[in-house]
Amino acid sequence: MTENVQATTSPRATSPTKSSRSRFGGTPLNIAIVVAAVLTVIGVVLWGIQLSGGMVQTGMRNFDSWGLYITCFMFLVGLSAGGLIISSIPCVFGIKGFGGISKIAVWTSICCTVLAIGFVVVDLGQPLRVWELFVYSNIGSPLMWDIIVLFVYLILSIVYLWATLRHEAGRVSAKALRVVSAVALVCAVLVHSVTAWIFSLQQAHEMWHTALMAPWFVSSALVCGTALVLVVVIALRAAGYLKLDQANVVKMAKLLGAFCCVDLYFFGCDLLTEGFPAGSGMEVVQMLTTGALAPFFWIEVIGCAITAVICFVPSLRKNPALVIAALLAIAGIFCKRVQLLVGGFQVANLDYPSTMTQFTITNWQNGMAGAYQGLVYWPTPLEFGIALGVIGLGALILLLGLKFLPLQPTERTE
Amino acid sequence: MRYGFAIDTKRCVGCHTCAVQCRYENNIPKETWWNRIMTDGGDHMDLASGQFPNVTMSYLPVACQHCDNPSCVKVCPVGATYKDEETGVVRQDYDKCIGCRMCMAACPYTGVRSFNWDEPKYMIAAEFGDADAVPHQKHVVEKCTMCWHRLARGEEPACIEVCPERARFWGDLDDPNSEVAQLVASREHKQLLPEQGTNPSVYYLL
Repeated sequence: MTENVQATTSPRATSPTKSSRSRFGGTPLNIAIVVAAVLTVIGVVLWGIQLSGGMVQTGMRNFDSWGLYITCFMFLVGLSAGGLIISSIPCVFGIKGFGGISKIAVWTSICCTVLAIGFVVVDLGQPLRVWELFVYSNIGSPLMWDIIVLFVYLILSIVYLWATLRHEAGRVSAKALRVVSAVALVCAVLVHSVTAWIFSLQQAHEMWHTALMAPWFVSSALVCGTALVLVVVIALRAAGYLKLDQANVVKMAKLLGAFCCVDLYFFGCDLLTEGFPAGSGMEVVQMLTTGALAPFFWIEVIGCAITAVICFVPSLRKNPALVIAALLAIAGIFCKRVQLLVGGFQVANLDYPSTMTQFTITNWQNGMAGAYQGLVYWPTPLEFGIALGVIGLGALILLLGLKFLPLQPTERTE
Repeated sequence: MRYGFAIDTKRCVGCHTCAVQCRYENNIPKETWWNRIMTDGGDHMDLASGQFPNVTMSYLPVACQHCDNPSCVKVCPVGATYKDEETGVVRQDYDKCIGCRMCMAACPYTGVRSFNWDEPKYMIAAEFGDADAVPHQKHVVEKCTMCWHRLARGEEPACIEVCPERARFWGDLDDPNSEVAQLVASREHKQLLPEQGTNPSVYYLL
């Protein structure tokens, strides 16, 4: 009803930009904002339940001490870094970009960074003690590096977006914008490398302890970051928020296909290096290809391969298929994060049978032998709810940005 | 000075007395064990491997290994887990711990660190254990303290005192005249997961 009223009463604007702006948003956007806000509130309430009733309500235990939250953290840092890299590279190297999508891409990155920080916070047992991070900082800890880089990165992305907007207003020179974008690019690469180091510097987990991890994280970031930007711009174009030449979409799709190939190549290199000596690394390879994590492994490998095919074959590179390809790539990279996190805990260094309680591991009743039969960790509904709440917060920020910030391309954008 | 343990696997019969005494001494909450007795043998506790009469089984009491090169200390973002320079004991400050569980991920010795996933609950309503043992907190990581409160009074860790088989020894590994140093020097021994490069201060005499 309200939609109809709005549609009929909204005045026909003269300029195309103006008409697209008035067509975009309105009631559907407001509804989306309300839904995101409600999700956020539900998430906060559930987080309160987690803190008051104890983290025993999550699926995490002593032997698998991280779970969905840290998986999402890894994933979102990747999305964020990937999005920023793809949008800042054209500006840094002075090459032709993707038709003015950089502001949207940076805004998406900022939202993903906020989300990533949110996921670390809900994972903490004592969130009221976060101030200690700044007072008692142990500079040697990779987690500390990550917190520092993440905050610098968040501030830089905001500065980059601001500089782009000021540049369009004629207040910031192209040179200055280029410097800012170069610093932001370096920081984006760094932020995901440091996230990889949280895991790969730990010799305790065979699966994590590999020098390839950091470059591999960056390549995965490029896959899901490009895919996300692709989905967002195609969706926004369909919603009438911006105009974008199909040639730019194709350019991005080709890049996405290439990134998928690089990521799969890295995966292959890592699996071969783990498995070839046929020592303890073989256990990791088996766990991934045929063991408990096989569904996540094959979704990633086949998903990314299909994405690459769709992106490379011109006859398949049509819009609905491209969106599916991009979503497949995002799902694939999420599955990779699950493999990494759960896989790290799926192989115990000391697997001797011993005293076990409900705090030791999820499936503790059947001893060590039973505990590692299936997946060592699976989130509880509470964790899914809190994760949804955090994602709601990100969506809320994203939508508010679309509503209130001038993120549409202008003549001076490129 | 480097305080450490020597545990004689030839003497250990897997009676769990040290593990139970550890819980008692430190008033450890329900569901948590700082010291666990692992069976090196078959697939279940107290089960030997092999076929009779060719069977083998031994026990490994495993708690925090108080490593000389502890991976947990390196990764803690706020320094809540740290190595006491004077004694080499790896300590945990409950008041500082933010509950990020980075140390649990970094420690190669599966399960020696435990997190209080819930408000600490106890087996009986009354408080027991040593009055000097530090009270437990919800949502922080804890582990074997080497009975720091007892060391401060010049006593041995509680697990040493109670071992019925006298399989456990404790002392300064740096002092060549100490019982532990001499046992390590004279007996065949192993450390757990030596390939991790952590150089644990717990030696298992073979």
